[in-house]
Amino acid sequence: MSKSITLNHITKIEGHASLKLGISRGKVNVCELSSVEGSRYFEGIVKGRKFFEAHEITSRICGICSCAHVIAAISAVEDAVGYVPTYQTIQLRKLLTLGERIRSHATHLYFLALPDYLGYESALAMAGKYRKQLQNALNLMKAGNGMLKVIGGRDLHPVSATVGGWLKHPKKEDLKKLELNLEAVKEDAIKTCNLFFSLSYPKFESDTECFSLVEEKEYAMLSGRFSSSKTSFEKHKYRDFVKEYHEPRSTANFVVKSDHRYMVGALSRMDNSSDKLSNGAKKMLKKSPMKLPSKNPYLNNVAQAIEIVHCIDESLRILEILNIQNEPVEKIKLKAGTGVGAIEVPRGTLWHEYTLDDKGTITNANIITPTAQNLLNIQEDIRMFVPSVIKQKKEKIVLGIEKLIRSYDPCFSCSAHFLEVNWK
Amino acid sequence: MADQKLKMGFYGITGCAGCLLSVIFNEDEILDLVQLVDLKAFPFIKEVNADEEFDYVFVEGLVADKGDLEVLQKLRKNSKFLVSLGACACTGCVPAYRQYTLKENYEHLLYRKQNNVEDLQPTPVDAHVKSDYYIPGCPPDKKEIVTFIKNVVLGKQPKPLDNPVCIECRKNGNQCLLDLGKPCLGPITAGGCNAVCINGGFECWGCRGPTKDMNLDLMINILRQKGFDDKFIQDRMRTFVGLKLPMLEKVFNVNVKINNSKPHN
Repeated sequence: MSKSITLNHITKIEGHASLKLGISRGKVNVCELSSVEGSRYFEGIVKGRKFFEAHEITSRICGICSCAHVIAAISAVEDAVGYVPTYQTIQLRKLLTLGERIRSHATHLYFLALPDYLGYESALAMAGKYRKQLQNALNLMKAGNGMLKVIGGRDLHPVSATVGGWLKHPKKEDLKKLELNLEAVKEDAIKTCNLFFSLSYPKFESDTECFSLVEEKEYAMLSGRFSSSKTSFEKHKYRDFVKEYHEPRSTANFVVKSDHRYMVGALSRMDNSSDKLSNGAKKMLKKSPMKLPSKNPYLNNVAQAIEIVHCIDESLRILEILNIQNEPVEKIKLKAGTGVGAIEVPRGTLWHEYTLDDKGTITNANIITPTAQNLLNIQEDIRMFVPSVIKQKKEKIVLGIEKLIRSYDPCFSCSAHFLEVNWK
Repeated sequence: MADQKLKMGFYGITGCAGCLLSVIFNEDEILDLVQLVDLKAFPFIKEVNADEEFDYVFVEGLVADKGDLEVLQKLRKNSKFLVSLGACACTGCVPAYRQYTLKENYEHLLYRKQNNVEDLQPTPVDAHVKSDYYIPGCPPDKKEIVTFIKNVVLGKQPKPLDNPVCIECRKNGNQCLLDLGKPCLGPITAGGCNAVCINGGFECWGCRGPTKDMNLDLMINILRQKGFDDKFIQDRMRTFVGLKLPMLEKVFNVNVKINNSKPHN
């Protein structure tokens, strides 16, 4: 018996994607996951622009992780000219990254992932029976967004971060309020963990390698070596390890490392760095049904819930020691060169690379988003997963697949990326 | 009562999902707001999306490929009022700036086309279909979206704002960034954003589009006096709203290489 399944417009994800699946005699013979997002050519758009404009332009790649693109672009530009930001600037960038992760994870978990598990078509449809749980989500989203507003000047496409420092520092009284807000949503984060620990996840093991930035002493965010349990490398060497190629059907490109697929995101970070989580997050991890290391992508939801606890704790830790001073933005000494920014963002490791000439004009750009790296892995996971549910009704199969795709929290807006085809 | 509520749909074509998020990120209002209307479609957060007649359809994003155009035309056909939500829909935003970059900058990024993905010239909604309302900005102001929905539910006509950003900026007591030598486009840009960028220390890039009575020549002269060269000024002005400033070509009187053909109309 053969059947085919086509999902032309996968809902509850960022951006647009479709899936084509062909099954014959119990085997999957066609499995094509494609981004059907229109092309936006950001890497071409920034060429010819100034070094201090890259982050404002590339921020528009993605709404939900716009802070991520801002910080990655600034880091790459600073790396190109050999500028090292101050301690205070790094702390502010960390706060921007943490706040974004809180709002992004909360939005994904409740609005995109949860309805599948509770049997609803949307979070809004759950409002009658699950109003309290939705309120937990909205409290967390509001706290995260509020944090971005205080630190970055705006929650989507933040404005205050810039090359060489910070354009306008948050006020001390606003930072104090922020601390109180974060304290107040700790409870929501713990409830989120308990809720997501209580759901039942399919048993599944991806044939993958989990990569994330890893630091010696902290749960890596803005620095570290790109590492898995088997290997690790320094960010400037990424082209030696990360190979890119195009899927002709899709506007997003797939990235493979040594011809082997890999996975980035909250689960990978937890696999590689769980010993560096905050104490509160470690406590939740112990309570969770997840046994690390895990390669079950469905558990990315669990990892995200635990990360919310970590992000709140870590933000509070930084806020406690941050004694904000008025540091003017430093003037950048220009020189020609290439720089790489690699940071951990909600969906995984984000790479920005820029080449500047000696006048500070961008002559080349390369951006690799987490979803672009995960795409191949999601597709191959679907191929592996389908045979285990093949005897079930079509709707059940589709739900299983959609849950799998959504567990990665893919962002198909982000993933539209193009490079010259290099068939080595 | 349910059938008396306005039927609304929220859709995204090529974009960053930021405008749709701006709807949801009204954390205090969203659950009540959706009760005011009959929310028929919102594929970003809903599995079940009715394909039918809408009173209002909100569209995020710009037309970048054939698929976008097909969706947009269908939405136009199915709706009484179509609202362009955010800068991509209103002006083409950053992705449409590609029209002003050299083809050689992105040509190598093109990949082998298959029949299901066909690029079109990046263009805003009203280059293809009639847009009844505009909620501008990248991102749009979250509260402006709520106000818009409340207004139409109450049967009030939403009014576009045409005061320059400077008015709100002065009210907020900001120091003028032009005075500090920054290339701020506040004087020629429509406000309604509460000067959020300048409040955060960042100059206005003009994302909400030009005011009707802008003095473009004066703006350009001020920027020249501040030491910015013509290429920089043009690039800045075109980043978010280039297609709404076709007069720039004449003002600068230089041959800017615009690739491909004109956007369709």
